[in-house]
Amino acid sequence: MGSDALKQLLDMRDDPYARARDWKERTGGRVIGFFCCLAPEEMLHAAGALPVRITGENRPITKSGAHLQSYCCSLARTGLDMALEGELSFMDGTVFVHTCDTMMRLSDIWRLNAGFAVHGDVVLPVRFEGDLAREYAYNELSHFRRKMEEQLGPIDDAALNESIRVYNRNRALLSELYDLRRENPSILPGDHALWLVNSSALMEKVEHNALLEEVLEDLRSSNAQADGKVRLFGVGSAMDQWDFMQMVEEVGATLVDDDFCNGRRYFDTPAPEGDDPVESIAARLWDRQSCACKHHPERDRAACLTDRAKEAGAGGAIFWQFKFCEPHAFDYPHLKKAFDQAGLPSIQLEIEQGSVSIEQLRTRVEALVETIKGAGN
Amino acid sequence: MSAEGGDPFGTSIKATDQMKQLMVEYYIEAKTTQEKPICWITSGGPVEFLIAMDVIPVYPENHGAMCGASKIAPGLAEVSEEMGFSRDLCSYARLDIGGAVKQEGAIPGGLPKPDFLLCCNNICGTVVKWYEELARYLDVPMFLFDTPFIHTEKTEHATEYVRQQCLELVKFLERQTAKEFTLEKFAETAMLSVQAVELWKGVLKTAENRPSPFTCFDAFIHMAPIVTLRGTQTVVDYYTLLKQEMEERVEQGIGAVTDERFRLIWDNIPIWYAMRSLGDLFAGNHACLVADTYTTAWAIDIQIDDPLTSMADAYTKIYLNIAIDMMLEQLVGLIERYQADGLVMHSNRSCKPYSLGQYDLARAVTERTGKPALIIEADMTDSRVYSEAQVRERVEAFIESL
Ligand code: SF4
Ligand code: SF4
Repeated sequence: MGSDALKQLLDMRDDPYARARDWKERTGGRVIGFFCCLAPEEMLHAAGALPVRITGENRPITKSGAHLQSYCCSLARTGLDMALEGELSFMDGTVFVHTCDTMMRLSDIWRLNAGFAVHGDVVLPVRFEGDLAREYAYNELSHFRRKMEEQLGPIDDAALNESIRVYNRNRALLSELYDLRRENPSILPGDHALWLVNSSALMEKVEHNALLEEVLEDLRSSNAQADGKVRLFGVGSAMDQWDFMQMVEEVGATLVDDDFCNGRRYFDTPAPEGDDPVESIAARLWDRQSCACKHHPERDRAACLTDRAKEAGAGGAIFWQFKFCEPHAFDYPHLKKAFDQAGLPSIQLEIEQGSVSIEQLRTRVEALVETIKGAGN
Repeated sequence: MSAEGGDPFGTSIKATDQMKQLMVEYYIEAKTTQEKPICWITSGGPVEFLIAMDVIPVYPENHGAMCGASKIAPGLAEVSEEMGFSRDLCSYARLDIGGAVKQEGAIPGGLPKPDFLLCCNNICGTVVKWYEELARYLDVPMFLFDTPFIHTEKTEHATEYVRQQCLELVKFLERQTAKEFTLEKFAETAMLSVQAVELWKGVLKTAENRPSPFTCFDAFIHMAPIVTLRGTQTVVDYYTLLKQEMEERVEQGIGAVTDERFRLIWDNIPIWYAMRSLGDLFAGNHACLVADTYTTAWAIDIQIDDPLTSMADAYTKIYLNIAIDMMLEQLVGLIERYQADGLVMHSNRSCKPYSLGQYDLARAVTERTGKPALIIEADMTDSRVYSEAQVRERVEAFIESL
């Protein structure tokens, strides 16, 4: 390996927003932040803006403590802190999707305090079931598009269809990356693979696609020998602890597939391409893997995840939990039971950004790896 | 809201006995009924449909409040915590899941098992996750009544979505009960509901007088029927009685707090296990909590000429389903209407939709009205995180500063 494209992408980890700032300087275009991967990024992209994902970061809180209680998840707390400290000043606005109660309130607090010119809310249905909700989702997406047109300029069908194609290309490449790693995880460490997905939401998609093509070219022809690492499946919202991911590799394991919202859930389903771009986006959101923040009575999340873990040949799972995150904490006992029944041992790790102790977590991961090895997986 | 919770302060409200009786009868019927189906419903849910279909609504949140008041909440919560539910989750959910598993609670044998569930997310997203777990554990069908949150505008497509769900809910109930829905019965229920709501608003309005005839601690207790049984004649009768008593008190100049000197507004769900001590604390300092954002949440409007559209509208606009700048308008309105001297906010770690945003609201209220705000940290039922001494100190200092 050692391809230049991979190195370029990995270098972004030191300063995740450098490329977005640089893009803004170069093009004079508008940068729009978003938190949730259900955001219809293609609409922003088609308006000529650069959508950039915010997932908080490891930092002590200075300013956001005056707005959010300590029993709020660190993703919201550190994200707001970054905004209030001016570290996101290269952004022109932010888009919020209705997911959990925390994001719902964060949208209000952000709109009233963060001082960005553009603000958007996509109040998707919570019910992901039935024609009524599906129709409402379509109408809400159309409404959001009009709102963004008012703030960002026209979003015509042709441009939107083109953006959908660009995004679908990205999804196809990332899927291939995960497929290749399922075949042979040793072609690329797990933290690199996850970063390749994460970086996609931090830079221009066309540029990301070009770099990804190069990386994949190398990976397809990689002759890395299987290294026998224990395969793990990751479950949780956002995974942004790269030191943790590296530690997992060090103790002889690798995350080979996941349900992280900056991992598999970011690219899991392509948008069906057609004449009506809003319909394409709605259809994709509808067909995606179920999310802890949405009600999918017909698709049991536990069954989906255990099936995927088995397909990935995982011997066990890590539940990655932000402290105070309700949707994921509510799902945990049900999921845990399903993983147990499927013979997949797991651990639950609860973290807050800014106070993660890799050493403490190491002991837990080591114990899991030992259990799996002991079970002869 | 506890059926056996007493009336901690001031001259006791005579209607309390009737209210207790009403709630006891309601729970007895729910526990013993042979023919009526039972539906567990969230506190902001459209109960009129259940009443019109002869379904008995049971409110885990009301029961949660009773468990909180009778101090058995932590024990029940522990049951679900042992099942893997985090201690950071809403304590109503934790204790309810624990109660369902153990079949225990503030009423003997716990809540009667539901035949189906009606979850309305106009109060939070938590209830969706909580009811999903109930549906799995109890193996019963669940209807999610989805009310899109209002950030900056209330869209027509959202109202239409909710209105259409009313019709879908009717079909769901017809399937579950094997009975036919009739518009006449529904209109009758909706009318009784409107009457009850009007009477309840009338009760709350009497607190605009000086001295106020009741405190919001009384309102917390006397709100149980409006939450659970609006749409029935019994509730209309009960609030007629209560309103009368409050009006008499006003006429006679009877105040809930002896020598009322300060008038305050309460925000958030009560701290159920500390109601008595908090009530004494405020009353002892001549402070009367004259109104709150919690009991006014049930003062919804339904128009009789188009009940479905107005219900869709009312259920979507409730206090917890709107952005904090809209909440601010309501808070400022309460302070002005009740001529309050300050605001007391319960920062409730169980309830994120109610609590996140309070810091901003507190500042904005003071800016707009010049009235100070106090924030106390607690949990509505989980007394394990409550520090009585700390709260006492802060409340006393606050009242002193007024
Ligand atoms: S889903 Fe969880 S981690 Fe994400 S914003 Fe909501 S509470 Fe925080
Ligand atoms: S206390 Fe708050 S989080 Fe819990 S059910 Fe009620 S509204 Fe939802």
